[in-house]
Formats: sequence, C-alpha cells, structure tokens
Amino acid sequence: MESGRCEPNRVLLVLMLAGLFAWLSLDAVSLAPNRIVSGTPYRAFQILGGWPALALALPMLIVAGLAWRSSRQALRAALWGVLALLTLLPWWLVAASVDLVEPGMAQARVGIGASIWLLLFVWLLALIELRTRLELSRPLGWLLLLPVLTSWWLALTWGQAPLSLYREYQARSDQFLTAVSTHLALVGAAVGTSLVLGALLALAMRRHPGVRRASFGLLSFLQTVPSLALFGLLLAPLAWLGARVDMLAAIGVSGIGWAPAFLALLGYSLLPMVRNIYVALEEVDPAVIESARGMGMSRRQVLLQVRLPLALPIVLEGIRITTVQAIGLTAVAALIGAGGLGTFVFQGLGQAAMDMVLLGALPILGLALIADATISALSERLRPGGAP
Amino acid sequence: MSRQWLTVGSAALTPGLRHWLAPLVWLSLLVLFATGMAHLEGAFRWLEPDSREVIYRRAGFIALLGQHAMVVGIASLVAVVLGVGSAIAVTRPVGRDFLPLVSQLASIGQTFPPVAVLALAVPALGFGTLPIIVALLLYGLLPIVRNTLTGLDGIDPDVREAARGMGMTRGQLLRQVELPLAAPVILAGIRTSVTVNIATAALGATVGASNLGDPIIAGIINGNTAYIVQGALLIGLLALAVDSVFERLLRRG
Repeated sequence: MESGRCEPNRVLLVLMLAGLFAWLSLDAVSLAPNRIVSGTPYRAFQILGGWPALALALPMLIVAGLAWRSSRQALRAALWGVLALLTLLPWWLVAASVDLVEPGMAQARVGIGASIWLLLFVWLLALIELRTRLELSRPLGWLLLLPVLTSWWLALTWGQAPLSLYREYQARSDQFLTAVSTHLALVGAAVGTSLVLGALLALAMRRHPGVRRASFGLLSFLQTVPSLALFGLLLAPLAWLGARVDMLAAIGVSGIGWAPAFLALLGYSLLPMVRNIYVALEEVDPAVIESARGMGMSRRQVLLQVRLPLALPIVLEGIRITTVQAIGLTAVAALIGAGGLGTFVFQGLGQAAMDMVLLGALPILGLALIADATISALSERLRPGGAP
Repeated sequence: MSRQWLTVGSAALTPGLRHWLAPLVWLSLLVLFATGMAHLEGAFRWLEPDSREVIYRRAGFIALLGQHAMVVGIASLVAVVLGVGSAIAVTRPVGRDFLPLVSQLASIGQTFPPVAVLALAVPALGFGTLPIIVALLLYGLLPIVRNTLTGLDGIDPDVREAARGMGMTRGQLLRQVELPLAAPVILAGIRTSVTVNIATAALGATVGASNLGDPIIAGIINGNTAYIVQGALLIGLLALAVDSVFERLLRRG
C-alpha cells in the first residue's frame, strides 16, 4: 500500500471520464410545454452557447487530473471538487431553464435527462470512493452533503427552476405530506409491534424448544411468500371479518386499507426481529452471566442490567433490517389501498406519468437510506467498546 | 467435500430421492395447480359466489408461469454471471483498486427497496418485459456480489498459501480452491437474489409485463378474490419450490 500511494486512483479516473462522456454526448434536459406532452431533448452544450456546460466539464477534468497522483492532499482536493460539482449542477439547471423557457410558457416543465442522472450517479460513486479512501466517518460523509442539498433547495425555490419533478411535488404537496406520514405510520406500527411480539416470542423460545422450531419454521415460510401474494391473500379473510364483526368494522378493518397491510408487514417483520432478539439473548457469554449471578444479582437484574445492554446492538440490527424492509413493503401495500408513497408510484405507472412515479420512488429510496444510516450509526454508538 | 455440491445433480438420484422430496413435492404441486386450475371452479365459486367469472382466463396459467419463470431465470442467470464475475475481478490484482467501491456499493444497494428500483427502471427504460428484466438483474446483482466477496474474503490465507506452495497457478487456485470453498456463501447469495426476484417480478404486472402478478392485480382491481388466490397460490408455490431447491443444495455444500 505504501508504494501505491502515488499511483493513479484508477477508480476516480474512470468515473470522471465516464461523467465527461455522458455530459458531452447524452441529452441533459428536456423541455415540455405541459405535463402531458413529452419533451424536446437538449444536450448540455446547446444551452446558452455551451459556456455553462463548460463550467461543469472543467472541474471534472481537474478531478480526473487530481486522480492521476493520488496523494492524500490530491484526494482531499478531489473531494472538494466533486462536492463543488454537485453544488453547481442545480444552478446549471436554473441557467438551462432561463434559456429554454419563454415567458409565455406558464406550464412548462424542464425534465432531467439521462446525462444528468448518470452524472449524479457517477459523482455519488466518486464521493463514496473518496470517503472510503480518506477514511472519513459516515456522519461526516452525510454532513458534507448538507451544502449540496441546500444548494439544490435554493435553486428550486429561489432560482425557480421549473423542474418537472418539483412541479409535480408542488401540484400535490398536501397529498405528498399525507403519503409520507401514512407511510411512516405504517412502518412504525409494524416495526414497533413486531419488536414487542418478537421479544415475547424470543423469551418463549428460550423456555420451550418446541415453540422455537415451530415459529422459526412458520416465519421463514412466510418470508418466502411474495409480498404481492400475501397482501392479496389477506384481502378476503379481512373483508369477511370486517363484514361480519361490527366492532372490527368500526375501527376500520376491511379487505382493503391499513388492516391487511399492517398484518402482512407484521408477518414479514417478525422473522428478522425474532431471529435477532433470540440470537442476542442466546449469545451473551455464559461466564458473564455466571459472574453477575455470583455478584448476587437476581434473575431479573441479570436480564435488565446485563443481558439487555449486551444484546442491544444485535436487537438494533434487527430493527434496522425490519425497518428498511418495511419501508419497501409498505410501498407495495399501496396496491391494496393502504396509502403511502407507493400510491404515487402505482398511480403514476397507471397514467404513464413518470414524474409522479419518481415523486413516489425517490422518497421511498431516501427514507430507506436515511433509516439505514441512522440506525446503523446508533448501533455503532451503543456497541460495547464501540465509538464513544 | 468441496466438489460435492458441483456434482450434486447426478449424484442426488443415486443415494435416494428422499433428499429431493420437498422440492419435488412443491414442483409437482405447482405444475398440478397451473394445469388443473379450471377443475377447481367449484371451490372458487364457493369463495366468490357473486362474480360471473371465477377462473382467470385472460391468459393461460401455464403461459403466465412460463413468462414469470423466464423473466426471473434470465435476470438471475445474467446476475450470477456478472455478479460472481465482477466479484472475482475486483479480488484479483488487476481490479483490486475497485474493491472498496464495489463492496460499499453492494452493501448500500441492499437497502434499496425492490419496488423503488422497479419503479425507477420504467422512466429510464419504458414499459414492458425488458425494463423488468433489467431492474431484476441490477437488483439481483447486489446480494450475489456481496456474498461472493464475503465468501472469497473468508478463505483462510494459509489455504491459499498451501495451494500456491503446491505449484497451483492463479487460475487453478481460483477454480479448485477459492470457488469451491466460497460456494456455500455464494449459493446463499444467489438464493436471496432469486427469492426476491420472484416476488418483485410479480409487481412487473403493474408495468405491463404479463406474468403471475396479472391475476392478482386484476383481482384487486375487480374485487375478485378468486383471481387473487389463483395468482398468489402459483407465485407462492413457485417461490417455495425454488427456495426448497436452494435449501437442498446448501445443505449438501
């Protein structure tokens, strides 16, 4: 590794050259007069005589040049270069919309083309690569994205770039907020309930091996059943219950809506949760328990003061897996009328309105990433002997 | 022991069918229901007494099953070749530079919900079967890459050293030592990938592919439980059949 320090960082070089190629040769934006009509594509160098496009091409060349001798300083400079690119990009979009959109076009939408999607992808890969090479911590990595996000937000609100995705959001911002909160409520309810049930089940499993075999068998079987099938299969029995039992109908149990979604989510969440809690309780070193008992702790004290703190990181890992999984599955639940962000995805697919699909799919992706990052960071902190 | 699982196909029939009982049962149930669904009209009539039609007839179940299996099969096959191939490439001296990025990407990608990946493929690639295959392929790559990396990484360096000492070339080392030792972990990755893909492919029915998701979507839209049960039953059986095959292979490895 010592000798490799000043060799070119080939990864960064390849990424930047791929980015330049995309920027020069593919469509960057498309302009549509309204929501229905598909847009006319434009390349980056067709905007304002190509000068703004050069402002993004040059930093990419510089970063590629920095990658040639990958000393620590060069990599650090490259990191700033990539961040600058990400910060500049929305302003290029503002410039593009100033150039393309004429004053009379109130409904005009500027769509993001293949070139920009590829640039974003390649630059994020470059960020990951640089973060790994420079050994920056994960929270610091997220913190670095803050100015980038601020710049995008400013470009959209203050710069008034009529980006189609943002237009779509503005047109249904109330619906969007409801969808996000429904989504989170379903995920939270499923994860919370599975945590409680999972803990009870895991405790029962430790006492009775029979319970353990039966529940692991049943839950892994359930995990294999595709989500669409399980949601569908729950429709009938719940519709039947809702129609027969007035009390259940009164709290909103019916074939469609939150009830089948919640039950299916719970079913899927239980396996990773129970597995991790069980492993967490089982794997505590017997010698530790022995010495705790030797110190005169009661069974209850051992559970609360020794077993649980030691088990917590593994339990959190279970919560992480469950939450990420539930965020994705809740999107599918939109098909049976449970609401949430999946509604936009499936409605958009039905109407062939791609901006609406993105309005659903991108936040789902974002929520999953945020949940993953937050819970990982938390369990990193709580691990005995981990980061303070 | 390391080679055992590779020859499992021919060896399995001789020691006894008993080991393959579960996959065989699931597979025959799958074929039985796919061919004979129409004979169960009575049962579905009882389930859905008010509907005019109780058997999904817009396409044959065998055709839908075939489509479903084909889409998942193609996507998984390409994903295995690309996934194992790229994981091997980045663990060789030539591609070592790319190892940190690829392994980071594989673990971050695991958190992407499959629905979101499928939904993002449509604006990029359009409606139809191709975007589904591409989405399944991309999504299916991640667990395979990650597990292949884990499997290759978990090999004791002494074993490699010993193989080198015996005069093995790099190619021989890979084929005769590294891959067989990593096989169970790689296989587990392929299993995850295929299982998730079977479920995600069903969602393809919402983006214009015709497969076993079709009856379910049609049932949800028309409020016809019988259609839903028919689609769900076949997808469930397909998933269980494929999973039990992997279960068997893994137990031998």
